[in-house]
Amino acid sequence: MKVTVEQIAPERAEEVLLRCHDPKEPWVEEIQSIAAGQITVNGMADGKLCRLKLGDIYYFEVVDGSAFFYCQKEVFSSKQKLYEFEALCVGTMLFRCSKSMILNAEKIEYVLPSLSGRFEAVLDNGEKVIISRQYVSTLKRLLGR
Amino acid sequence: MKKIEFWLHRFVFVYGLIMLSTFFMCLLFNPTSELPVVTFFGRCILLTLVSMLTLLIYTSGEELSNRAWWTRTILHAILLEAVLLPLAHNWGFWYNTLDGLIYGTFILAAKGLWHLIDFGQSFYMAAALNEQIRKRKREEIQKEGTNNG
Repeated sequence: MKVTVEQIAPERAEEVLLRCHDPKEPWVEEIQSIAAGQITVNGMADGKLCRLKLGDIYYFEVVDGSAFFYCQKEVFSSKQKLYEFEALCVGTMLFRCSKSMILNAEKIEYVLPSLSGRFEAVLDNGEKVIISRQYVSTLKRLLGR
Repeated sequence: MKKIEFWLHRFVFVYGLIMLSTFFMCLLFNPTSELPVVTFFGRCILLTLVSMLTLLIYTSGEELSNRAWWTRTILHAILLEAVLLPLAHNWGFWYNTLDGLIYGTFILAAKGLWHLIDFGQSFYMAAALNEQIRKRKREEIQKEGTNNG
């Protein structure tokens, strides 16, 4: 496989362009995941604008029309829409886990079944979030790759 | 496609439960009654469809909280009894009060079984997910060990 690395001026935005036969190939997903580690999003906390790495976000939730990023201890408000953030998360360990939430699979400590047919994910900061049944197959795929 | 498969699976499950309940009702309480086969099967299909329609009570624009789910589950049980009991009575699946009580109990038991089976599947799935999570964590620790060593 041919690999081309082009050095660009600091003022230009860095990007990774992959030309592949199948975007679901493991090596493509691996590169997407590495590149995604460098993706940042803006969040507001205490009136300050903060830049957050995708890998540091535990989950993204929309509550009553307002969006929030939840990190290990801090909560940041955001102006992003759920579908916008979902598009940003393609190829990463963040996945849609319910109607209003995107969860980072890497932060899940363990999963508990529930009588409602859904799942309760216990995160490594002790928080509990709900995973809908319809999104569990995505989580299974993400964990297995 | 997966959704269609899911609902078909559910349909067959509910249909089976209704058939079994009705079979036992006829066997225990009215063994001499005769039901035309096609009509009987047709009515069972209709009862199944009506039961499936009552699931609309769970429809919500937002994710249901645990409390909301329990409320709707109780409402669903009441709705099932309110809809299925008169229909089944009208079609001769039960006749007197005792029959009705038993048929109502069958409906509740079927609903309970539905949730138990659901829970069983979730339990199995959660175990598989936890195994994957453990495996990933082990691999990460090994990777870190290799990098540090």
